[in-house]
Amino acid sequence: MDYKGQKLAEQIFQGIILVSAVIGFIYGLSIQQFGWTVYIMLGGFTVSCLLTLPPWPMYRKNPLSWQPAVPETSGENRDKPQESQKKKKHK
Amino acid sequence: MNTVLSRANSLFAFSLSVMAALTFGCFITTAFKDRSVPVDIHVSKVMIKNVDDFTGPRERSDLGFVTFDISANLQPIFDWNVKELFLYLTAEYSTKSNALNQVVLWDKIVLRGDSTKLNLKDVKSKYFFFDDGNGLRANKNITLTLSWNVVPNAGILPLVMGSGHKSLAFPETYETAKSY
Repeated sequence: MDYKGQKLAEQIFQGIILVSAVIGFIYGLSIQQFGWTVYIMLGGFTVSCLLTLPPWPMYRKNPLSWQPAVPETSGENRDKPQESQKKKKHK
Repeated sequence: MNTVLSRANSLFAFSLSVMAALTFGCFITTAFKDRSVPVDIHVSKVMIKNVDDFTGPRERSDLGFVTFDISANLQPIFDWNVKELFLYLTAEYSTKSNALNQVVLWDKIVLRGDSTKLNLKDVKSKYFFFDDGNGLRANKNITLTLSWNVVPNAGILPLVMGSGHKSLAFPETYETAKSY
């Protein structure tokens, strides 16, 4: 999943759990059985699991744009360790 | 949130926190409720004996026998935060040696879902009504009250006294060699 997808998934499951909590609380209060509040919460939990745990395609709509790969040559290999040594001396 | 396990962890923890908040809400909606109902107690037979009490310090103590009827409607007490009620019948009196005595004579557990109309007739006491000494004979004022302990789903366990009590007097003489 990409970052925007993760944010979307978090918003989706938080929204579903909160909505099922409010519905469960009101329903349990009206029939005076706390057991039903718990059942509705568990139902909301299951729906959230199904919607957010597997990485559905809707969470992959904004992939990160990586830089194109730079082909490596032997000259650049020698330069890089020297540059890193110079930086350590300055410190 | 980039792996399935991380999302599952986050989702589960959030659900538990919301569940805890809902339980607190359940407690708050019933915390200040008055849980007392009127109770009707009637006594049909009273007898007293003087027997050896092996648990006490003296030779013989008074042992009372009370047969009673109880009727009460407990339906208004049960709400979504009550798991069960623990009822108990107390006898309260004072004697020359002790200013206040309280003895539990009988108890019953009423679960949520059981019949809530209590209509018991000719019930014998479940527990021995021993006095600490010989203060029951000719005791004019013994008060019987039904109380209950409310066991909730979430919150405090209040001890509530039913509104209604019965006073009775014990006879002057002991019963001799009669089986109960």
